[in-house]
Amino acid sequence: MKAFVVNPILGKEFISRMRSWKSPLVVSLYLGVLGLICLGYYWMNEKQMYYSGFTPDIGPQIYVILTVFQLMLVSFVTPALTAGVINGERERQTLDLLLCTRLSAASIVLNKLLASISYILLLILASLPVFSLVYFFGGVLLSEIAWVFLIYLVTAVTFGAIGIFCSTIFRRTQVSMVVSYIIVFFFLAGTLALAAFLGTVNMGNSSQPTVPWIAYMNPLVALFSIFPSYGMHFSISNFIQRISYGMGGGGIAQSIPTEALAPWQYNFILDGSLAVILLLITIILLDPVGRFARFRRKSK
Amino acid sequence: MLQVEGLSKKYGKLTAVDELSFKVDEGAIFGFIGPNGAGKTTTFKILATLLRPSSGKAWIDGEEVISDPRRIRQLVGYMPDFFGVYDDLKVDEYLDFYGASYGIPSARRKKTIDELLELVDLSHKREAYVDSLSRGMKQRLCLTRCLIHDPRLLILDEPASGLDPRARLEVKEILKELKSMGKTIIVSSHILSEMAEICTHMGIIEAGQMVVSGTVEEIMQRTREGQSLEIKVMEKTAEAEAVLRDEMNMNVLNTADRILELPFSGDEQEMNRILTALMQAEIPVVSFSLSRSKLEDVFMQITRGVVQ
Repeated sequence: MKAFVVNPILGKEFISRMRSWKSPLVVSLYLGVLGLICLGYYWMNEKQMYYSGFTPDIGPQIYVILTVFQLMLVSFVTPALTAGVINGERERQTLDLLLCTRLSAASIVLNKLLASISYILLLILASLPVFSLVYFFGGVLLSEIAWVFLIYLVTAVTFGAIGIFCSTIFRRTQVSMVVSYIIVFFFLAGTLALAAFLGTVNMGNSSQPTVPWIAYMNPLVALFSIFPSYGMHFSISNFIQRISYGMGGGGIAQSIPTEALAPWQYNFILDGSLAVILLLITIILLDPVGRFARFRRKSK
Repeated sequence: MLQVEGLSKKYGKLTAVDELSFKVDEGAIFGFIGPNGAGKTTTFKILATLLRPSSGKAWIDGEEVISDPRRIRQLVGYMPDFFGVYDDLKVDEYLDFYGASYGIPSARRKKTIDELLELVDLSHKREAYVDSLSRGMKQRLCLTRCLIHDPRLLILDEPASGLDPRARLEVKEILKELKSMGKTIIVSSHILSEMAEICTHMGIIEAGQMVVSGTVEEIMQRTREGQSLEIKVMEKTAEAEAVLRDEMNMNVLNTADRILELPFSGDEQEMNRILTALMQAEIPVVSFSLSRSKLEDVFMQITRGVVQ
């Protein structure tokens, strides 16, 4: 018997999660996909190298592709891990039992989130060997990889908070899953489209164009803003401009506004605050004798 | 130990619990009896700090239920009318999880789990997955779960429902054992006979209201008292009343509409004697029947549950 030394919820989630056959399968698939992408990209380049010789940029390029793809994976996995944690307890009829222990609603919500984040951390750590390939080619600093991992963490917390929030307000797991994925999709794609749209609309009104703040909610924007400048030059304005052109708009002004903070800093502030607010609402809703108890439902 | 005063719970227009008041003394087994949908589960959920009452108050060990839920949760062991188990945990892990959730130190948890598994006769299943247990075993496991933090008050919602007769018997034995350990227990059921033998006190609830509550003997007594005999005659109402009053020594309450109503607590032979006396006095009787009080109605509804 394994006694729970850490928080019981965290301990139980670890036992349950690692006991099922799904976990090793997910880790294997995850690493398999990342590895294949690396290999694929390298093979493509190898052909070119035959004619043009070795390009020293291959390290940074693989790094950019890997980090973007890993961000996509984190975004894809997080709702799956979190959007069923509260209503899942409810479907198993264990939520009431949990709520009438000494665990507070806050402890339940935060430890459920922590358990999911830990699993994502496991996936990210397991992917380190794949990232070491980048070192093989050189061109990327260790500190840069550390920043990328920080962005993953913030993204996982934000999307995790969205998932847990949905799993609290929707009774059925399927509904909360679908809604969580729609919101995550909005963060990854919708924010950029909206930013491009707003940029185009504002162009005529203001002589000093700014990047719409909604663009900073996108973790991809945060990620692109910290890429090594020699790998792939990135500026948020250009990025949105390109999308804006793609949408048929005129694009925002060429002058790049000077921002007080880097995009990833804006991203951390915006997404971090959103996560905190959502978690607070979730905790308030979950408290069974609180005034806003979501679960004030009709008894049998 | 437990006091409930004017407790109400409304869901929109529906009133699940309506001005409920009752008291449970320390060490009692209180049978909370009523048909399905009477408001038993809602009341239990309020007591287990899982629901906020619309109005009214409840105190457990002198503490108002919603004022300090954490302290109440420590005092109360709540077993809902469903299992609520994590299939992917083993029996001892399951109990350890709840023990830890109640803040019991790891070393003490192990000892408590050993003792409790012994009490409910599940020691041999401690390494088994919860999923693999039979219904009766799961029910005993759930009972163990709500005992893990050594609560003083146990709130058990239909602990015997859905079990086979043997498993019911086992649950009853465990309840008796718990009583001897000094626990106060409130146990609900929609079946009267199931409860009568193990409870010291009973409360009968219908449509969210307490119909009657007291010791088991008091309630049995009051049920018998509640009956009345209704006799309808074609004519000679006054003569009929005279026969009943003078010859049979009975107390006639009402004689309106040619119907004589008299309190009655006798058996069928007694009824037959009354009818014979009326026949001999040549009273034209058209109907002769026992009517039940409200309490009896509820009682009948509950006792019918046995057959259902």
